[in-house]
Amino acid sequence: MEPDIKWLDDPETFRVGMLPAHSDHRFYRSPDEIRNDDSSFVQSLNGQWQFAFAKDPMHRIQHFYDADFDASSFDEIKVPEHIEFAGYDKFHYINTMYPWEGKIYRRPAYALDQNDKGEGMFSEAPDNPVGQYIKKFELNPAFKDKKVRVCFDGVEKAMYVWLNGHFLGYAEDSFTPSEFDLTPYLQEGENTLAVEVFKLSTAAFLEDQDMFRFFGIFRDVSLIAQPEAHIEDLSIKPTLSDDLKDGTLNVETKMTVNKSGAVAKVTVSDADGNQLYNDTQPVTDSITVKDAPFKGVHLYSNHDPYLYQLTIEIDDKDGNVLEIVPYKFGFRKIEINQDKVLTYNGKRLVINGVNRHEWDCDSGRVVSVDDMEADIRTFKANNINAVRTCHYPDHKLWYHLCDINGIYVMAENNLESHGTWQKLGAVEPSYNVPGSVPQWKAAVVDRARNNYEMLKNHASIIFWSLGNESYAGDDIQAMQEFYKRVDPTRLVHYEGVVQNRKYEDVISDFESRMYASPDEIKDYLDNHPKKPFILCEYMHDMGNSLGGMKSYIDLIDKYPMYSGGFIWDFIDQAIRVNDEVTGQKVLRYGGDFDDRMSDYEFSGDGLMFADRTEKPAMQEVKYYYGQHK
Amino acid sequence: MIYSDGGLGVGGDNFHYIFNYTRSGIESMVINGKEWLYREPKPIFWRATTDNDRGNGFSQKSVQWYGADMFASADKVDIKINDQLIEFPSAPLNNKYSNHEYADKVEVIYHFTTLTTPTTDVEISYTVMPDGDIAVHVHYTGNDQLPDLPAFGVRFVMPTLAAGFQYDGLSGETYPDRMAGGIPGEYQVDGLPVTNYMVPQDCGVHMATKSLTVTRNTTKDNSDKSSTPFKIKFVNDGQPFAFSCLPYTSEELENATHQEELPLPRRTVVSILGAVRGVGGIDSWGRDVEEQYHIPAGKDIDFGFRITKS
Repeated sequence: MEPDIKWLDDPETFRVGMLPAHSDHRFYRSPDEIRNDDSSFVQSLNGQWQFAFAKDPMHRIQHFYDADFDASSFDEIKVPEHIEFAGYDKFHYINTMYPWEGKIYRRPAYALDQNDKGEGMFSEAPDNPVGQYIKKFELNPAFKDKKVRVCFDGVEKAMYVWLNGHFLGYAEDSFTPSEFDLTPYLQEGENTLAVEVFKLSTAAFLEDQDMFRFFGIFRDVSLIAQPEAHIEDLSIKPTLSDDLKDGTLNVETKMTVNKSGAVAKVTVSDADGNQLYNDTQPVTDSITVKDAPFKGVHLYSNHDPYLYQLTIEIDDKDGNVLEIVPYKFGFRKIEINQDKVLTYNGKRLVINGVNRHEWDCDSGRVVSVDDMEADIRTFKANNINAVRTCHYPDHKLWYHLCDINGIYVMAENNLESHGTWQKLGAVEPSYNVPGSVPQWKAAVVDRARNNYEMLKNHASIIFWSLGNESYAGDDIQAMQEFYKRVDPTRLVHYEGVVQNRKYEDVISDFESRMYASPDEIKDYLDNHPKKPFILCEYMHDMGNSLGGMKSYIDLIDKYPMYSGGFIWDFIDQAIRVNDEVTGQKVLRYGGDFDDRMSDYEFSGDGLMFADRTEKPAMQEVKYYYGQHK
Repeated sequence: MIYSDGGLGVGGDNFHYIFNYTRSGIESMVINGKEWLYREPKPIFWRATTDNDRGNGFSQKSVQWYGADMFASADKVDIKINDQLIEFPSAPLNNKYSNHEYADKVEVIYHFTTLTTPTTDVEISYTVMPDGDIAVHVHYTGNDQLPDLPAFGVRFVMPTLAAGFQYDGLSGETYPDRMAGGIPGEYQVDGLPVTNYMVPQDCGVHMATKSLTVTRNTTKDNSDKSSTPFKIKFVNDGQPFAFSCLPYTSEELENATHQEELPLPRRTVVSILGAVRGVGGIDSWGRDVEEQYHIPAGKDIDFGFRITKS
């Protein structure tokens, strides 16, 4: 297979040569490795990489991925890091409009004209910078003779990958992992991984989130060795009896097995380590737990995030451990009841939520473990019980932290195409994508699948969200159909339901709105409401704001069908730089980098300042979110 | 009492005040030998535009109050001695006084006509008690032809940066529509922090305050070498008041697009507020602050507080 730069222009090409999306379970060789969360099957490729920047595709170095390419003229860059933070490309903040606004005329391929393929729109674009990365590595000796893949946890926005001069594949969806099998091309001694990253592709139409527009390898890169018998995908389905007293557990796996006679030991323990389930089975196509009963289960909730421990150990026929997969899961039930009230474990659920962009003022969307742990502590300290991952899947660890801390998650897809349908404040979807344009459907359904497959086992996730502000059409309907097919245990959310009522019944289980006034909410709920009401964004906390929250909180007692909402948003997006005049560290926002067009300070809507200190409004959130916790 | 040509001096044990006749207010407030005023207190009509104010066009609608705040000046001064209005003691009428004039109660009233179209009237009166306490009374006469007010109160600009302040009120920064989470108590704030909003804007308001004590340890007096802290106290007079204590005026905050553009902090600006507009929060691109948290211009505003040696 040969790479083709025209894929950048083609909405129908978004994954080439990639391994299928799968659950985010980790696997280890020993209990010690589990305890230290240090899998010997993983070799990190984070660190210094060789790097060349080109201002557009026409100026990029050809054949930099060849095995014999001389990269001595390359610079160095850190991985993970946004290319803008490394100083090669300009910071640019813009909200709903596309970053090429006022500079390049673009309409999405096929949107206005089924014959318009958009050829050259990105592949020959003067505003499409390119990052060329080279990483030389020697394989961990323990990986020898094993299948080995490379996993990119996040790369914006389109990338081509080669190993030792052999093309491996192409990926778009920036915020979910992209994996490629390296096995056929690995060699003794030094190996050369080459990655070519483009800032723009058709994915740029789908990733028009209100944020600084970055590109590059911004999350971890790992080599992952595969045991001879390996759980490729794990699906844990805990369900509850109608009276919520007893649980039933079903587990299925997808396997890759290169060794006969392997045996799986499946155990389930409670949080105190008492073993409740124990089974040994030969490893075949799937390791399964079928309808295993759990009497008198301890329910999982925000206040009591009680998790059970599933452990699957795979041994070879001589009893040597091949891999151990641990995963924590919870028993809980999310429903809309016969009164159209959102319930959790049989009781009305009130969402005291926030929207959270990933942000660190010193590194952008490259967030640290400390950042994530600090955010969870802030949630817990201020009665925030839910998060919407706006508007893309987050770092994997975030969901794990939400699991163990009982933070309810609205897991949102990487999708926002605001600029294609709202112009100067008016709804004007003449060239909306994905819309009902057939050529854009597979890409967005793939995004839904990536999100689902990675995250499906998390106890914390209670809603799937199809994306943000992308209008509504057949393609978004297809995303909902995907979720409804694979996951009857969670609800589907999408706010675009209010923008195009034609799709009202097929894209969201909620009446979801953003920034509706308390009176508008009353108006909906007083007039034969069809669905429970949720605010996916409210209390726009820009600057000195968050006044009048009482009027929203008062709705909770009055309207059982009001489900609460997610404050916009958690943390200001600003970048810390040295002031050119005083030399002091200061926070800068849109327009401060000669970036135009911009939406300037509109990125500063957080309950936290960009340096992760609390805004004064937080005490108000703590108070009101404490009223119905 | 010192009936001077340019102003009225009022002194007693450990205090001496001078009310200027042409500069719209009390010019000097010396307590225990320390000067507390940099410039005369003036009425507050403006707050630095918040992001929500900008989004809903409030600053455009209420822009008259910006000029009214920036350039306020009194056009008339009245003096009452022991509750009796006296003929204004301008020269040569004041030749009849001596260096031995005494009173139990002195009230100086400054009358402002707002620089708005139409105008309305504001009075700030200072009543000095024998112990040096000053009861300040402020009155705004409503005029429903004017736009909503961004804020209303009195601004004291002190000569040097305060070391900090202490208040009996609510925790944190609070506004009328964002004060439910404020916990009542006594709070000590070190320095004069400006809330780190990306774009500097109105900030630091504390609602429902019973008292505020400002502590300084420097003066502008070149002969004063002491760094011993000294204090002044603002105490509620009937109703609790709102205040902010910052190193900047609202106009200084208004002009900066980033925190680092604010001037070097060098003074203390105490705003004692009788009316505060809410901050709003439904959205930042059009929705107004909820009606009950506006300051309608048509309604009188009347409030008072006392300044006392701490």
